[in-house]
This record gives sequence, structure tokens and C-alpha cells, in this order.
Amino acid sequence: MCGIIGYVGSDESDTMEVLIDGLSGLEYRGYDSAGVALADNSIDVHKKEGELSALESALPETTASDQEESVGIGHTRWSTHGPPSDVNAHPHTDADRRVAVVHNGIIENYQTLRDELVDAGIGFRSDTDTEVVPHLIGTYLDAGIDREAAFRRAIDRLEGSYAIAAVFEGSETIYAARKDSPLVLGIGEEGHYLASDVPAFIEYTDRVVYLDDGEFARLTPEDVVVTDSTGTVVETSIETIQWDAEDAGKSGYDHYMLKEIHEQPKALRQCLRGRLDELSGQVELEELGDLSRTGPVQFVACGTSYHAALYGATLLRERGVSAQAFLASEYDAEAVPVGADSMVVGVTQSGETADTMRALREANRAGATTIAVTNVVGSSAARECDYALYIRAGPEIGVAATKTFASQQTALTLLACALTDQGSRDLVRQLRAVPDQIQTVLDTSRAREIAEVYEDADAYFFIGRGYHRPVALEGALKMKEITYKHAEGFASGELKHGPLALVTENTPVFAMVTGDSEQASKTIGNVKEVEARDAPVVAVTDGQSNVDRYADHVLEVPAGDEITSSIVANVQLQLVSYWVANRLGRSIDKPRNLAKSVTVE
Amino acid sequence: MDSCSAIVLAAGEGTRLRPLTQHRPKPMLPAATKPILAHVFDELIEAGISDITVVVGYRRNRVQSHFGPTYRNVPIHYVTQEKQLGSGHALLAAEGDVDESVLVVNGDQLVDRQIIADVVDAHGRADATLGLVEHADVGEYGGVLLEDERVSEIVENPRDDRNYRLNAGVYAFEPTVFDAIRSAKPRAGEHSLVDGISEVIASGGDVRGVVSDGLWVDATYPWDLLRVADDLLEYDSRVASQVAPSVRVHESATIVEPVVVAPDCVIGPGAVIGPNVCLGENVTVGANATIEHSVLDTDTRVGGGATLRDCVTGRGVEVGAGSTVVGGPGDVRVGETICENEGLGALLADHVRDEGGVTYAPGTIVGSDTLVHAGSTVRGSVDADTEVRA
Repeated sequence: MCGIIGYVGSDESDTMEVLIDGLSGLEYRGYDSAGVALADNSIDVHKKEGELSALESALPETTASDQEESVGIGHTRWSTHGPPSDVNAHPHTDADRRVAVVHNGIIENYQTLRDELVDAGIGFRSDTDTEVVPHLIGTYLDAGIDREAAFRRAIDRLEGSYAIAAVFEGSETIYAARKDSPLVLGIGEEGHYLASDVPAFIEYTDRVVYLDDGEFARLTPEDVVVTDSTGTVVETSIETIQWDAEDAGKSGYDHYMLKEIHEQPKALRQCLRGRLDELSGQVELEELGDLSRTGPVQFVACGTSYHAALYGATLLRERGVSAQAFLASEYDAEAVPVGADSMVVGVTQSGETADTMRALREANRAGATTIAVTNVVGSSAARECDYALYIRAGPEIGVAATKTFASQQTALTLLACALTDQGSRDLVRQLRAVPDQIQTVLDTSRAREIAEVYEDADAYFFIGRGYHRPVALEGALKMKEITYKHAEGFASGELKHGPLALVTENTPVFAMVTGDSEQASKTIGNVKEVEARDAPVVAVTDGQSNVDRYADHVLEVPAGDEITSSIVANVQLQLVSYWVANRLGRSIDKPRNLAKSVTVE
Repeated sequence: MDSCSAIVLAAGEGTRLRPLTQHRPKPMLPAATKPILAHVFDELIEAGISDITVVVGYRRNRVQSHFGPTYRNVPIHYVTQEKQLGSGHALLAAEGDVDESVLVVNGDQLVDRQIIADVVDAHGRADATLGLVEHADVGEYGGVLLEDERVSEIVENPRDDRNYRLNAGVYAFEPTVFDAIRSAKPRAGEHSLVDGISEVIASGGDVRGVVSDGLWVDATYPWDLLRVADDLLEYDSRVASQVAPSVRVHESATIVEPVVVAPDCVIGPGAVIGPNVCLGENVTVGANATIEHSVLDTDTRVGGGATLRDCVTGRGVEVGAGSTVVGGPGDVRVGETICENEGLGALLADHVRDEGGVTYAPGTIVGSDTLVHAGSTVRGSVDADTEVRA
């Protein structure tokens, strides 16, 4: 369940337009169905399975321009409870359509609440957990309780995670609440906004208030009032967002993913700006202030961010620090010991990933020092951790992470230097060269030709050692996500312990080999094993070893050390996946079943 | 005209600027430290344009990834000219974006906002209006003859001594110009914008010219980037001598103004930079290096003790320790022709790497990705992707 938007404002603005614009800015959070509700003397609900365009074409002609409602809410959904369908789409209402509700998160006790409501004779239309909320509010309204109190009382009954917004018939007010799901309020000239994420309303205002866990908000055309769980008014601070509406367009590229791949040199310059001093060979991270490390370091992350975390852990271990990366969703299941001397680093692009947040909260409770490595200023991770290190990649719209992975790798390299007081003039110099090296890959890559050769392959395998292993895993994940083809990444040395059985002449193996170290020659040994089974080999290499002798194709990267060349080499793999998906006609920016920011566990 | 939108033509490579255009089109070459196209956008925005369409083609990724969907809050819309078949053909690619009078500007030449504003003011109900400047080099460009503010004739590379004004590449058009471009006979398979305008004149249309005295600068050859930077530093108040805040300058380094030093640069101990030096983003100058009158593009590294005079580098060039670019003037070979006595010390294209102790004779050009071994002396023109041994 993924993105919510709300708007209440002056009569001149077109509420429907604000809601639809907002949903299109949130579509990356989920897109299997969408809906809106507008309230005046009655509540109008429009909702539709499919992408936002399906909802737009289902809207009655008159609604877009002639409507006079000045308050509305909208939702774009990524299914958790109940399949995508018109009826499961939000908003949901009570039986008498007195209240409409949108929700992002999971209501864990919904079955209990639903049973209770069904026993009281209330009929349910959808399979969602959310529908209990409007019915609960409805029963309190029936009991003669006023709207705000009915909303608060319903919220009090919920267990789980939620960002919820509700509108009522005959009221120009939006009521909202959050717990463990993101919700931000926008303060505009023409009215007030709420959304799961800033891009939903950045077109209208850049002044925002972040709602904290357990807080309630009441939005009217005149003002915004935030209260705590007891109803006491909370003093809020308005922050100004630096991102502008630039984040909207594809700027001439066919897909956001390709645009974001090409933005990597710029993203890394932003990430590095002001943080490196080649004159002294030092790394300077102001955000980390007086942070010092004594105990072991644990990384928690999911998906692509987990691959960056693996890379970060290797960097620290190489500097003599005990460091490990954990999948956030397994962190409590694996009973990872964490204590006051631990440092826990959460790597999350959105800063809202529910699995990662849960692990970080557990670390906070255990008294560990927590650091968020994130792209989103003011995100839950940034606010709840002791320290936040921003990767400064700029907004990423494509669901498949590209530039944020490169920026995470770069930021984690900086973090490893800062935590160990081991900058080095050589590494600083290498880092400063990375944006140019990526630009060179973008200018010269032959990935598109490789993609043409192998678009019909049965499966794709990726192998790498050391710093290249996370990149091999990431290369495979990218391929899976956007081409829907089978792909696996392996540590090079693991191939012979099982996966080699999968290798055939129709399964290309992408081998990451840079430099001419012992690690590189070992991977070349693994390449020979693959070659002997007639599998085509694509070497991603800087030409310093003789791997090209055993490869069918070579994707070149500029020479650099292994730490930074793995950042650069990954760009070739991004391009291969992109072009395979493009040739297969996949929905590259919105792959099936996936959402960018997964705010459920 | 009331239109606030402009079309910028940025699809051509600019072949005379090779080898700098191997991976990017001419509009993306540095004028001081910013791409030429950024200066064009700046002037359009200062002249009140609030919507820009850019026609891209050759190496279009470079334009798109640099500017993105907006520039200074003005939306940028990209249209692609798949094959570069002339300036008129490029404009046709943007036809779908035009339904009223529109401003059209070349994206590879520096124009002043005054020229743009004068064209907008003069256009009125004309079919086409051309921005013109008085310029000594008119023989190298399009010469325009005026009769009472009406354009009577346009001559490419005029050789006679009639009173030609130079076509500054700033136009206002009515949508009818698209048909004129289509009906003009292509030359060598290319549709030129100027032929389209001549077609409008021939069919009795109202084509005006307005002469402005704003700055107009073009780079024909790579070493012209030195002159472009000089002109911007001298005449253009918007290109102030400055060192960006994120630059790290060692306390013992000396900056001799005017200079433009872009973000992320590092200037080592004892280095002397300037006058008339432009350092692009993330350029590194080693200890005790001396640089004057040079344009060094993004990510270039200059080794300790190197001396550069009248030098132009592409992206990511590495000049080794103790190397020397002696400085101009020198004769420069471009293809089959020799340009004599040009003020060029050396032109080092993208990713040229020298190992140090190299001497570059005046007028040297080194192609992209070439490796120059330590202690070599380089002169003349060196191909891309080769090795020069001592």
C-alpha cells in the first residue's frame, strides 16, 4: 500500500488536478490501482485498477474542471491485502459514505476489528485491511461522537503501521495520522497538502512540515494543526525543500532509468562535493560531527541497498574493523546480537523502507549508535537515527535503483574513511576520478550490442570477488527486476560449488575483473571453468589482466583501483539490463509487482 | 511578438572543433567553464523566454544529462533530429512544438540578450526577423544585406565588399517558415535554414533584419575557446573572475585575476594560476605548476611543476609532472590545411595522458586517449588513441 495525497484549499484551485498531479508524483511507490475522493455535501469516490492513466480516463469529463469541492484525498496502491482490483483500490468509505479513507501501511489487528464490525452487522466490500477504518469511524459517528473524536478513536484502535487521511461529507477538513509510515504536510499559498512524499506536491509548495510518529494533523483551508496522541497541540517547524520540480521530466530519455543512469556522474559529484580534501588526503563528513566508533559495525538494508551495504562492510573490514551486512528483514529473525557498543548503519534510499526501519528501531532500543545512509532529507531514517549521511543523488523515479546505488557505494566509501580516520591521498584521488570514468563508460559503452546478442538467453549469471561480488549480485538483481528473466549473482569462487551445474551455452556469464591482483587472476580461473562448459563470457574489465583472452565479449572500463572500479563497472551492467529489457519491451520504469519504496514489512 | 518560447538548435557536431567533439557536440564545449549552450540558455532566460525546446542529435545524451528537464526553473523540452541534415532540417524536427511565432537560436554560438530582445521587439507582423551584428569576420559566416530594415539578400561567405551584416543566428519566425524550408531545394542533401529564409524573401514575404551591438562570439576552431574565454572575461559582466566556494586552494598558491575556477577544483602549494585561466569542475593543479591563458576542461589534472601557456584541454586530461606547454603562436594543422601563426600552445583532447617531462611545441594538437611517454617532445598533429614515445 503505497502513496497518499490530500489537498484542501481555496475554491479557485482545481482539487482534482492537484490530486492527480500528486498521484503521478507518487506512482513510483505503487501502481496497481489508484483512486480519489472529493468531499462537499456528499463524497464522490473514483477508483480504478491499473496505472494512474486508467483512473484518469475513467474520471467523468465534468469532474476535472467543473467540480467545486475544495477538499480531497487520493491514493496509489501497491497490494498487500487483497489483489489489485477496482473494489480493493482506495479510498474506502463507510456504508453511508459519510467518510472516505486512504491508508499506507499495514493494520496488523484488522482481522479482529473486522470480526467485531461484522458481528455488529456491518458489511465489507473489499479484501483490504484498510476498510475497517471508515467503518470504525462510521460506528463512532453513529454513536454521536464528532468527526475529529471519531477519527482519533478509530486510530487508537489500530495496531501496525499507517499513514492515514480521511475526509468527511459536509466538512472542509482533512484529518490525518501516522505511525511508522511516512507522512509530510505541505504549506502552500493556495491551500494545504499532505502526502507520503514531497514530490507529490512540490509543484505547488516547497514548505513542509514532517509529521512525527503518533501525531495527528487537521488541515483546513485556513490552517494546519498538529496534535499529539493526547490531543495537545504540538509546535511545528516549517522546513523548505531544496528539490525543485525538475524531478518531473524524463529530459528526452525514453525512460527514467536511462536518464538516471546518465545522471550518475553528476550525482557522484554532488555526493563528493566538499567532502574530500586531496591536499591533506582527508575525508570530511560534517554530518557525523563528533561520531567515534569503538565496537563492531553492522549494516542493515534491503535489495539494492543491501548490495551497497555488503560493499561498505568489506571496506571497513579491509580497514581492520569488524563489520557485517545483514538483510534488514532477517535482522531480528537471525537474532543478531546488538548492544550499546555496536554501530548500526541503515542503508535506505527512501529512508522509509519498513524492514530497515524496524531493524534500526531495534538497534536504537538496544542503545546502539545508529547512522542512516539515505537520499531523502527529513525521512524517517534520517530523523530516527543518531546520525544521517546523505548520499545526495537527487530524486530517483525509476523503480530499479541505479544512480542511488552508485551514490550509496560512494558515500559508504567516505564513511569507511571517516570511521577509521584512514583517508588516503590515493583513495581521495581515485574517488575524484570516478565521475569522469563513469562518463567515459556512458560515452563508449557497447552494452547495447551485447544486449542484442543475448536478449534470448535462458539465464544470466554474474560473478565477482571482493568489491566486485556485491556488484555481481546487483547486476543480477537489476536484470531480474526489469527484464523478468532469470539471473543470479555469485561470488566467483562459489560457482564451482554448485551453480556451475546451471551454466550452459545459452547462459551468458558476466565476469567482473579489474586490476591484475591475485583476486583478479582467481576470477579469471573461474572464467576458464565457465568457458570450458561453452557458456558465453562477457568480461567487464579495465584491460589490466588477460581476461579478454577467455571472453567472448569485453565491456571496457577505465583503469582504477578495485574499490572505485566496482562503482564504475556496475554502470556497464546497468546498461546491459536496460537494453535487454528495452528489446523485450518491458515496463522498465515500473516493473510488474514492484514498488520503489517498500513501506511494509 | 508575444511568444515566450524559444527553439535552440544543438544537434550538430561542429566538425571543425574536432578532436574536442569526439564525445560531445559543440554546444557542450566550454566557454570559460560552462558549456556554450548554458550561456545561450542564460541569455534567453534573461531576455524573458520561459519555455525552451532544444533540438538535439549528435551525442544528445551529453546535452540531456547536463541540463535535465529544467534549467533555472525554465522547462526544457528535447526533440531529436535523428540525422543531421542541416539547420533547416533541425528546425523541422521541432515543428510539432510550434503553433505561433517563435524565437530560434543557434545553440553553439554565444549571443547577447540584447540581440535576442531586439529581434523579439522588431518582429511585429513580419514573416521572419533576423538578428544581425557588425562583424569583421562576416566573410566566414552568413552575410545579410538590408534595405530599410528589410532583408534583401543573404549570401553565405560573401567575398564582395557590399555592406554585409553578420547573421547572428537569432531568428523570429512565423509557423509558415516550415513550409518554406521544405520547399527550398536541398543542397548536397541538406536543408539549410538560410535557404528557407531566402525562399520566404523570393516569394515576397516580409523578412526583417535588426542590427544590435551586443556581444556575439563563435568558436570556429578548438583554439578559439581561448579567445571566447578572453572575450567573456573582458566584456561580459556575467562571467566574473571568481573561485567557486568548494575549491581548495593551498595557502601558498597564487591566483592572478582574472580567472574562473569551477567547483571542486584543487590548487596545490606554490601553484600560480592566471591571468586568463579557466578551470572546469574538479580540475587539479599540482604543486608549483604555472598556468596562464588556458582553458582546462572538467577533471583535468596538471602535475607538479608543469607549465601551461595558451593551452586548451578536453575532459580528464592528465598533464604529467614537469611537462611544458611552451605557448603560442604556432602553425596548426587541421586536416589538409595549415592555420598559420595561431595563438595556441597546445590542444590536448579528452583523456590525453602524459607521463611527465613532456614538451609541447607551439600549435601542437593531440587526439583523445593518446598516451605521451615521459620525456617526449610533441609537435604537429597527433592522432587519437596512439602512443608517443620519446
